[in-house]
Amino acid sequence: MTRRTTLIRAVSEVLAWWAALAVLWLVFITTVDALELVVGAGVALVGAVAARAARRAVDAE
Amino acid sequence: MADAVIVVALLLVAATATAAVAVRDPVSQALVLAVLGVALALLFTVLQAPDVALSQLAVGSALTPLLLLLSVRKVRRQRKGRTE
Amino acid sequence: MNGWTVTATAALAGGGAAVVWGVATGPLRRRVIAQNLSTTLFCSALLLLAQGYGRPSYVDIALVLALLGPVGTLVFARLLAEDLDEDPPRARALTWRAVGFGAAVVLAACVATGPGRAMAKLLVTGALLIGGTLVASRALAHGMPKGEDRHG
Repeated sequence: MTRRTTLIRAVSEVLAWWAALAVLWLVFITTVDALELVVGAGVALVGAVAARAARRAVDAE
Repeated sequence: MADAVIVVALLLVAATATAAVAVRDPVSQALVLAVLGVALALLFTVLQAPDVALSQLAVGSALTPLLLLLSVRKVRRQRKGRTE
Repeated sequence: MNGWTVTATAALAGGGAAVVWGVATGPLRRRVIAQNLSTTLFCSALLLLAQGYGRPSYVDIALVLALLGPVGTLVFARLLAEDLDEDPPRARALTWRAVGFGAAVVLAACVATGPGRAMAKLLVTGALLIGGTLVASRALAHGMPKGEDRHG
């Protein structure tokens, strides 16, 4: 597997996690406004990176 | 009549707490304590203190039993190692 | 006092007594089952109370419980694996009854809320609750995947 495909796979996995977590955030908040959206997108990104790291750690065992 | 649910929650907490004291085996005690934590969270909710209930849940439902069981496990292992 | 709180009170009085009795007496396998089903019972009661008080934000507590309760049961299943191996705890009928009650509560709350983001939150809570209870009771009955050599 070349470096390029690895990179594309990593990015798409993080993106998938990000989308799922952002939707979850959107469902759980009470009022939807700009601040909530910005915070949600940021937190979802952190969560997505953590989720990928956790998945890789589990798979590596 | 509106206080019925508060009375039920209080009775549940009292019964579970009594059971937690009366049970002697640490492993069973961890199980009773897990239920007690959730019952306390319910009592806080019924008394309209949801934020307290949230923190009680976070500590009581998984963390306290985990700590207790880990220490029970460690003590058991040490005892086993000493007799061998 | 409305239908929601009355149902919650009745469920807590009946089911709560059973849970306390089950967790405080009897063999270990009965106690872990009672602990597992206490999550289902209390989470359903919290959902009913959130509806009864007219405070949708109380659903958060039920959500956290639906997430952490099964985690607690999995802790027991993992750390008591040696004690539970000899006679594994099985209570299929009771588990399905508790799960059915939880599903009925989630469904009723969804119908009362109507479509929207609040209903999606209720559905997520219900899915976590039902899935978590079933996974935890399965872990109790069949044992956790063995990781003894890895983690020591």
